[in-house]
Amino acid sequence: MSVRALTVSLLLTVSVALAAQAPSGSKSTAPESFRANGQITGVAGGAATEMVFKIDKYTADAEHDALAKTLKDGGNAAFLAALKKAPKVGAITIGQRTIDIRWARTRPEGTDHRRVAFVTDQPVFFAGAGAVDAKPTAGYDLAVVEFTIDSVGLGSGTMAPAAKVKAGGPTGVEVDDYSGKRVTLMTVTRSMAK
Amino acid sequence: MRFLSVRSTPAVAILAAALVVASAGAAPQSKKKGGAETFNGKARIGTSTAVADASFTIQIDQYTPEKDLKAMEQALQTGGSAGFVAALQKAPVAGHFKTGDKTFTIRWARQRETPKGRVISIVTDAPVYFVGAGLPGAQARTGFDVAVAQMNIDTSGIGDGSIALAAKVKPGADGGVEIQDYATEPVKLVSIMRVIS
Repeated sequence: MSVRALTVSLLLTVSVALAAQAPSGSKSTAPESFRANGQITGVAGGAATEMVFKIDKYTADAEHDALAKTLKDGGNAAFLAALKKAPKVGAITIGQRTIDIRWARTRPEGTDHRRVAFVTDQPVFFAGAGAVDAKPTAGYDLAVVEFTIDSVGLGSGTMAPAAKVKAGGPTGVEVDDYSGKRVTLMTVTRSMAK
Repeated sequence: MRFLSVRSTPAVAILAAALVVASAGAAPQSKKKGGAETFNGKARIGTSTAVADASFTIQIDQYTPEKDLKAMEQALQTGGSAGFVAALQKAPVAGHFKTGDKTFTIRWARQRETPKGRVISIVTDAPVYFVGAGLPGAQARTGFDVAVAQMNIDTSGIGDGSIALAAKVKPGADGGVEIQDYATEPVKLVSIMRVIS
């Protein structure tokens, strides 16, 4: 519980870049799973949780291109509808809850890193929605996660636990996060066993 | 002094801690520490997979006079939750609960002496935070119109306690008081320290 006034909606530009995403690397790393510690802080305090990201497979280029086009042509609503129809490619598990991942991409970054990004078909949670003056949660229908991981399997990143997306910005995709503040994935660890 | 009855409902966890909200027949207010005082501490909630905390300050300007307590207790017994909230909102300001950049008005403040110090109970005239409301499909907030806290303060001014950050106050069995907490996990008050002025 963090008693905060996270009610300001900010358009946060992130490098998830659905439309501008480079193709997945030729050497598939999926299936794979990651453990992450997420933290979010506010004026009065903060919250932390453990999560497991399981990627069964990364979204193929053709499916990715179709989703990116849907976003560009039809906006968030069309993208969400298409996302929900896309095959499940993984899941986030937080405690007893499991949320399906329906878009996931990875690409090399530098000499020994790679970036992993994925989108769920429903929000994970609405940070700050417990405030008395919290804004409505309607329309924030998915979650966006991105992190960078090195060749050893250690990394960090961010999560927009409740978001909407639209085409635009320098990367081709803008993520509108419900809370205006990202969850920091302090430590991401790739699990050894697939 | 009557203790809160505790029960469970399918949808809502009842605050498990035996928060003490004074009722008819309660012990008299302490005469030794009746003036303004301030407490700092942290509210903490934890599950097997997550933890959250927030700093708070409880400033008590005056403990609620016995006649006002009795008026609210009577309103609860005759008018239920709605009657209690209406009476609470008409009661004089007893202090403030502050967390982050938000301030909430305390209109019920009571203390009773114990062998180790004091038990202080407060009620705000509005909910402070709906713990768990950030989850998709969270329960409705309607009726959770107050916050209720209890602090156990020792003679040196240090203590702990519990809080229902959004609660319904309902008549309990045998003329007691029942607190229904919006949160499904209890929120603890830890590292409470009385501010030395």
